Amino acid sequence: MGATLRAVRALVLLAGFYLLGFVMLGVLVAVDWAVAEGGVGSVTAKVWIVSALLAIPIVQGMFALRTPKDEPLPGLSVTEQQEPALWAAVRKLAEQTGTRAPDEILLTPDVNAAVSEDATFLGLKPGRRRMYIGLPLMAGLSEPQLQAVLAHEFGHYTNHDTRLAAITLRGRLQVMRTVASLHERSRKKVAKEEAKQEKKNAKRLAKGKEAGEVDAGSAGLSYRLAAKPFLWYGTFYLRASQGVGRRQELAADLAAARIAGRDATASALREIPVLDAAHGFYMQSYATLGTGAGLLPPSGEVFGGLRHLLAGRADELDEMRQALPEEELSPYDSHPPIAERIAHIEQLPDDGRALTGARPALALLTDPTRSFAELERSALTPEAHQLRRAADWPQLVNDSMLWHADQDAEPLRTAVTEVHGGDGSLDAFLDAVDAGRLWEVADRLPKSQEAQDATGRAAREFARPQVRARLSRMTVVELARLGRAHWELSWTDAARLSLPDGYEEELKQALDAAVEDVPDTRELRRLLARAR
Amino acid sequence: MSHILPIALILFAIYSWYRTRQKAAPNGTGGSIRNRDLPKAAAELGFLPGEQLDTDRAYPPDPRITAVREAVQAGNWQAAAEFLAGAGRDWQERDRRSSVLATEAVKDDSWLLAWRKERPEDADVALVLAESLIYLAWEVRGSSTARHTTQEQFAGFHRILDQAREAVAAAQALAGDDPCPFIVEIPLAKGLGYPHERFEEIWAEIVKRDPHHLAAHTSALQYWCKKWRGSYELAESFARSAAQKGTPGQLLSVLPLEAYFEYEIAHDDLEQDEFYKRPEIVAAVDAALVDVAAAAAANPDDWRIPPVRHLLASLLYWQDRYEAAVEQFRLVDGYIDTVPWAYRGSREGMIKAYVQQRDFSAAQVVKARRGI
Repeated sequence: MGATLRAVRALVLLAGFYLLGFVMLGVLVAVDWAVAEGGVGSVTAKVWIVSALLAIPIVQGMFALRTPKDEPLPGLSVTEQQEPALWAAVRKLAEQTGTRAPDEILLTPDVNAAVSEDATFLGLKPGRRRMYIGLPLMAGLSEPQLQAVLAHEFGHYTNHDTRLAAITLRGRLQVMRTVASLHERSRKKVAKEEAKQEKKNAKRLAKGKEAGEVDAGSAGLSYRLAAKPFLWYGTFYLRASQGVGRRQELAADLAAARIAGRDATASALREIPVLDAAHGFYMQSYATLGTGAGLLPPSGEVFGGLRHLLAGRADELDEMRQALPEEELSPYDSHPPIAERIAHIEQLPDDGRALTGARPALALLTDPTRSFAELERSALTPEAHQLRRAADWPQLVNDSMLWHADQDAEPLRTAVTEVHGGDGSLDAFLDAVDAGRLWEVADRLPKSQEAQDATGRAAREFARPQVRARLSRMTVVELARLGRAHWELSWTDAARLSLPDGYEEELKQALDAAVEDVPDTRELRRLLARAR
Repeated sequence: MSHILPIALILFAIYSWYRTRQKAAPNGTGGSIRNRDLPKAAAELGFLPGEQLDTDRAYPPDPRITAVREAVQAGNWQAAAEFLAGAGRDWQERDRRSSVLATEAVKDDSWLLAWRKERPEDADVALVLAESLIYLAWEVRGSSTARHTTQEQFAGFHRILDQAREAVAAAQALAGDDPCPFIVEIPLAKGLGYPHERFEEIWAEIVKRDPHHLAAHTSALQYWCKKWRGSYELAESFARSAAQKGTPGQLLSVLPLEAYFEYEIAHDDLEQDEFYKRPEIVAAVDAALVDVAAAAAANPDDWRIPPVRHLLASLLYWQDRYEAAVEQFRLVDGYIDTVPWAYRGSREGMIKAYVQQRDFSAAQVVKARRGI
């Protein structure tokens, strides 16, 4: 199939998207008319309301296609005066790829780089171009690697050698955007429902701002219904043009290799999945560790802390780089498997541009630390901004872990107070145990369905690990308050609980003894007395 | 493709109905027996109605067992100690009594704790403790398949099995001549998947102490079944050699019947009417009939007999030997918590399976007597 034919097909497919919208609206009008003709007043009104609800998202769907305005991603806009080196590098790359430089550069809090354009008229008329560069991405790449990534992004917009095929790409991008936006909105619906139920889901705080309003109530159902045909068509469209899309990706990779060098491009492709995994792990296990305790990392460290993790786990990451990711191919994804792309690049002849001695990509910024700090201002949610800042990472880790331990001990405190009175302290628990009420207390801890159904000795066996784990947390909290225990930050491993020498083994045995069939608290009491 | 399954199910249902009809009208001599005549025939022969069957016991309640259960529930460990000691060197009786106590100890072990405290080095309490931990582990695991068993259940199961292993070792150290602490290790061997060599070691310890222990053989046969750690061939050869070494009255001839039954229920496509009429199974049933008659002559109240009779009755039914089947059913009617009915899981299922075979046999006998 020639390029022209492909472009015509793309246009026809694009037009089909509109046709689908009009047909659906037509069906709604026809139903309304039919009901009004034969109709009972109240029924007619209901049908009209429902069809209006259905029409809104359909019109929105078409509207979304016509004006593919990106919802601006959260990001820190940087001017040429602020970041001259970065702008210069971007301009040079645009020039080398033969495309127009962006009008705006935004630094974002993710492992990603993207270019967007507020194009109009079916995407044929150019508009304002934005380039998004993730600071965490920059933190993990060298300068030539970043160039390769950015050159690849620019490569999508040039395709000067296949001018007509660019229409296909545009169509693809717009359909993908529509499908993605529909997905995104239904996802947001679900997310909003969830947020209602657990308002204090603190982990989401640092992940970025909530954007836009969401329709409420019954509009949600009509939304999902109306989305279906668009999603089907979108899938069909994407599958139909997928081959072209994948060839475009490979072409963009080749352009990147030509500009940034073969090795830089191949290694950047290897690096991104690794970085992405590292960043996700970092956000989950470090950056948001203290949100429950109301703590954020020090200024500039919420996203910037990734640098410590990358340095600390260099060996582990190296292993990941060697093993190419096995990914599942999504029908929507225009990218060929990353392994295929890397193989494609690595078979190019050596261009003599070795990676050794390359500067880190962050060197393109005037003051990376300041950039990380400023990014927090634009990327963190208002709720996140209210959190206290830890003085340093060790403090964050210790305070957060102590908070988590205390949370884990809480049900045990409540249970002891309910069963045996007292203040819910560790001593009150030990007194309850000595009074022979251990299993009564344990019975009040949260239980699985199986544990609830169990009776007799089996019930005790379900309760034993529960009460032991919570008692262990309660004891550790007590030791920490006495200054005998603390958690140590580690960038290479999980936070480690540090106890006085020899304590650990004794503590284990003391805890075991305290939850035996015939409980014995003497050992635990002795350990506590020693700590006090 | 999706249409084939419902059609296949319907065809299967019609086929099953047809088979049942055929079974209800065999031989063609005289008139057929109608399904509604079955309960009448059963009642005529003095069988109990289904709802009066006891699905929690395999034989009538033993007053000594009832008494010791009540005693331990009241916290009286001395009663348990006396009860177990009362078995003396009758290892089969000792095994039965220890498992009664272990079952009680899963429900509530305060008496067991008191017993252990009083007599820490006692072989009897060590045996009950070990056995109860094994039962407890299975209670925590539940009886669902692995997919429907939670992490928590598995973690508890393995934690308790580890304790059980220690307790079993402790009981074995105190065993002396007693095979029971080794017999209780068999379920552990199934659960933890002991290799054959290790199992053979335990088995050697058992047969050294009691070569003809029926419950030990029945339990070991399970280990040798394909569903646990063996195969159909291993199970059958184990059962055969057990039957060969036994003399009438020792009841070991029931083992081949158990092996055939296990084979049959593991094969959905097997036609029971044909399978159980194989000459070697007919011969095995004949041998078991002699065996059980000898055992009953020696001691008519032998508690080991009813389960043998139940399995015999079912196999005789499949072999169309209705008079002999009714004879066995008559001797055990009322208490049906045993193989093959116990495999049905629910009380209703057990009753239905039992009553169907019993009443059909009864109707055939009634019909033959009347010479219709």
